[in-house]
Amino acid sequence: MKILTNNPWVKEKYKNKYEIHFADVGYLELLELVRDGIHQGDRLLSHPLSGSVKPNETPFKSVLVEEDRGEIDMDSLLIIEDALVMARNLMKNPKLFLEDDQRMNDCRMIDLSLIDSALEK
Amino acid sequence: MQLELGNIFIKDVQFADTTHVKDGVLFVNKEELKALILEDEHITDVQIDLARPGESVRITPVKDVIEPRVKVEGAGGIFPGVINKVNQVGSGRTHVLKGAAVVTAGRIVGFQEGIIDMTGPGAEYTPFSKLNNVVVTMDVKPEILQHAHEEILRLAGFKAALYLGEAAKEVEPDEVKVYETLPLLQQVAQYPDLPKVAYVQMLQSQGLLHDTYVYGVDAKKTLSTFIYPTEIMDGAIVSGNCVSACDKNTTYHHLNNPVVADLYEKHGKELNFVGVIITNENVYLADKIRSSDWASKLAEYLGVDGVVISQEGFGNPDTDLIMNCVKIEDKGIKTVIITDEYAGRDGASQSLADADAKANAVVTGGNANEVIELPPMDKIIGDVSYADVIAGGFDGSLRKDGSILVELQAITGATNELGFNSMSAKGY
Repeated sequence: MKILTNNPWVKEKYKNKYEIHFADVGYLELLELVRDGIHQGDRLLSHPLSGSVKPNETPFKSVLVEEDRGEIDMDSLLIIEDALVMARNLMKNPKLFLEDDQRMNDCRMIDLSLIDSALEK
Repeated sequence: MQLELGNIFIKDVQFADTTHVKDGVLFVNKEELKALILEDEHITDVQIDLARPGESVRITPVKDVIEPRVKVEGAGGIFPGVINKVNQVGSGRTHVLKGAAVVTAGRIVGFQEGIIDMTGPGAEYTPFSKLNNVVVTMDVKPEILQHAHEEILRLAGFKAALYLGEAAKEVEPDEVKVYETLPLLQQVAQYPDLPKVAYVQMLQSQGLLHDTYVYGVDAKKTLSTFIYPTEIMDGAIVSGNCVSACDKNTTYHHLNNPVVADLYEKHGKELNFVGVIITNENVYLADKIRSSDWASKLAEYLGVDGVVISQEGFGNPDTDLIMNCVKIEDKGIKTVIITDEYAGRDGASQSLADADAKANAVVTGGNANEVIELPPMDKIIGDVSYADVIAGGFDGSLRKDGSILVELQAITGATNELGFNSMSAKGY
């Protein structure tokens, strides 16, 4: 299992437990990295649009994948492409977050909670 | 299982020396309610405000809305496994303060919305502007982290609602409605000529501020299962989610689930309403596959001709919705799905993050990206500084006169996917 993330809290919590692919990029770029991985055989384990905090409302996103390197998983590809379409649409809207420390930490916490819920249930 | 709901119509709420109901007015002993909430040592301060329909009041950020109810006959208590001890509910008699609600407000994380305007254009978009609200705003000890904070506010809201509900115990209801669902084989036999219909209710279950509880169990840890519709009316399902408040089910929504109400309305006339399947909306894709496998299997097992499926939320749950729809259709059972849309501010973009040709009967609760201007209000209940933040969240949103520009997604219940509001779209 591998976690693709731009959230330093997810990296910090899980770095000794799972393979972490940390990238200091935006929400959309992170989804594009996930898509690139799927083209190379990764399979999605968690939904790329997890959570109700929309792409224009948080900069943070973490996605669980299984490194397969076999055939391209078409289900994963369809889900990530739909997610990218939706994310691009929503990001046409104004940015709905302020980049002060407290709010950024809240965004990190929610994203971490979504990954926790996938890993710890 | 049969439940009598005794509705006591509340047309006003006022503070008084004792908490009671008289002539359609809910009187609230503020100090007693405050003391009850402060029994939780984590809560450092509580404010109780009243907000009535038509008043120039804005409540934000709203966590939950809860209808005061009390069991007067039958097993269990309202909110079993959460406040009252675990015991099966849904039978006997329950009294309801219809027209009143507890609203919990307070900041947990900084980007939450959840606005209820009691007057003006925003009030048209939330059903809770029509209620006589007892608003509970709480502060907790600063060291309390978000997960615990959420739980403290959630439980305090239920306690407040049960406290007010007690006032309904000895009051003669203005109307009594009886709801009954028989054990499956008897239910099927009761109306053999009518199409058998079940309701598949999807429950938000993704994590912090995205959770739902069934008899106190975190829904993300459940397998899809059956529930009698009357159990839901007694608080078997409660809300723990409020992010993107437009399409999240408050506890009030669960207690008054309009899909359940409408299916009962048509029960014995147009259809045979045989029961409810609840299923979750987890983040993990394997869970989605498992839960939708189970939901479709249970629908098949019930032997129904059709199901209504309601979604909660957007994005991730779109995948659960389509999986449920396709798998149930594949079993030869007709589906109608209820969702909402994030179709961009002009409404022209793709509405959902997933789709399938089998999802050919769709009801929408509206476009959450639609923008609305909220005029200034005389009074803000909740976190005032927060109201500035949400307004300042994007360029040009905060006007000099105090009005704010928000998407409908900020308004509690605006595009509710149980259909608990007035917005939709029709195709001709």
